[in-house]
Amino acid sequence: MNNVPLSGYLLLALVLFCIGLFGALTKRNAVIVLISIELMLNAVNINLVAFAKYGENPGLTGQIFALFTMTVAAAEAAVGLAILMALYRKRKSVHVDEMNHLKQ
Amino acid sequence: MNWQAIEWGAMLPELIVLGTSLLLILLDLFLRKTVSRRPLGFLALLGVAGAFSALVLQLHEPSIQLFHDMYRVDGFSKTFKMLLLIGTFLVLCLAYDAKLGREENVRGEFYYLILTALVGAMFMASSADMITLFIGLELLSVSSYIMAGLKKHDAQSTEAAFKYVVSGGIATAITLFGMSYLFGLSGETNLYSMAKALQETALPDQSYMLVFAFFITFTGLAFKIASVPFHMWAPDVYEGAMVPVTAFLSVVSKTAGFIFIIRFFVLVFMMSKGVNSDSLLQQVQPYIIWLSGITMLVGSIIALRQSNVKRLFAYSSIAQAGFILAAFSVFTPALFETMWFYLFAYVLMNIGAFAVIQEVTTRNNDTGMTSFEGLGKQSPWLALAMTIFLLSLAGIPATVGFIGKFGILIALLGYGGLHYVLAGILIAATLLSYVYYFNLIVQMYFRTGEVKEKRRSQKGLLIVTIVCAAATVIFGIVPNIALHFFYEQFSISTFLQL
Repeated sequence: MNNVPLSGYLLLALVLFCIGLFGALTKRNAVIVLISIELMLNAVNINLVAFAKYGENPGLTGQIFALFTMTVAAAEAAVGLAILMALYRKRKSVHVDEMNHLKQ
Repeated sequence: MNWQAIEWGAMLPELIVLGTSLLLILLDLFLRKTVSRRPLGFLALLGVAGAFSALVLQLHEPSIQLFHDMYRVDGFSKTFKMLLLIGTFLVLCLAYDAKLGREENVRGEFYYLILTALVGAMFMASSADMITLFIGLELLSVSSYIMAGLKKHDAQSTEAAFKYVVSGGIATAITLFGMSYLFGLSGETNLYSMAKALQETALPDQSYMLVFAFFITFTGLAFKIASVPFHMWAPDVYEGAMVPVTAFLSVVSKTAGFIFIIRFFVLVFMMSKGVNSDSLLQQVQPYIIWLSGITMLVGSIIALRQSNVKRLFAYSSIAQAGFILAAFSVFTPALFETMWFYLFAYVLMNIGAFAVIQEVTTRNNDTGMTSFEGLGKQSPWLALAMTIFLLSLAGIPATVGFIGKFGILIALLGYGGLHYVLAGILIAATLLSYVYYFNLIVQMYFRTGEVKEKRRSQKGLLIVTIVCAAATVIFGIVPNIALHFFYEQFSISTFLQL
């Protein structure tokens, strides 16, 4: 159970973070964009918990930090979805590339 | 934990603002729909004024720590909180006049959201722990997202809010990712313990990780201050949001971002070793210098092509962020003073300018530059105030903006090396900024516009323009009042020691 080294967790978190960043920057659907941001935030949680358990200086504060991150991520997602709902009512679309009414 | 043993009095300013916002939430919920929400604005103003007086009473008390050193009330936090409170007070005055039309029912929401955002910003100013810093940052950000999209029947406003949420979420995730590595390297979240732990690690592969963590955190925080590489949200959000919200984002939110940057980077990275034996903050200076230079140039050059006043001020505020970053690139004790003073100047002149913009754009129902045509004839006092703010933003002598910019320039020239290049870029960007600031002045005085109907006297506008214009001129002539105050309160040794 304990055979996975710290670097394994860090690599997983890094891959998740990059997938999230890629999704947030390239996807057309606004809901997928919000999900991608959640992916990035969860990569952070993996990092924090892995460091808190197997890091050079393990400590409980990392897990506490992860709890705070989760809570805040939930609040951010709620606000993001609420704003998306308001936008959807005006535009009848959730495609990011149609959100270009503000002048460039 | 003994609840009585905690000195709650030290948190009084935050508690007052928080209490006021809770009261406003309840009042807004239980008052009948038909009752006007305008009087709630007075309550919000009263809360901010109360917090300000509580802060003034704290000024002569020694600095203390609360909650296992998570929360500090020291000279740094007191002086910067003052800027936040002044900024919010002026924005609230501005919001009192804002014409919301059929969105009048969101007025109450605006008042309490701005207060929760202020609590977040003040928390950041006092935090000495990554967790509290992060919570403060998010409280500010999430409140700002909602404020940007407050006009929910306006497609532009909701679009701006969505763009803000997405870029803000990405920036938060990036900042947090860097913070998680910092936690991993030090095993602590308290900034002072982190600094101590990072000082001791000497493994070369760890120092590369530390540099990586620095870059990624800095990139994420660039969002909050709207500097390159995370500046693209600013024009769209500034254009879509209501004018008071735009003023809040460009002044209070940006100040809070700089507070985060100073506290976090100076404390954590000053002592820690970079790739070679120098301190990491010394080594990354060229990076900050280039970022600051590019930010100034991008802001100033793109601002030349804008025809919308709010977009113009978005790019102008990007350029201003570059100036303040230039002050951060000079790593001497003078950094705090120059940054504080420039932010102080920025609060006064930018909110003043937004007050005039709000009045003019509501009169014309148009945010184009042409709405300023003939303002000099129609409302000479308003045009005079706007001229003062624009001159100050451009950095003309006898205004507070000049003193701020002069301080940054002297600090850069005193350092030498690559900083000379940055000083050159700063002067070039300032010259470019003359073009677009003076263009507005030309519109006001040398163009004749059609005569528009004046709105009845606006109390908030009157207070904000008079206070800001007077302070811009007074502190431009006798800046020592503000600087003395700062020296009296702030000392680098209390900032650095636990």
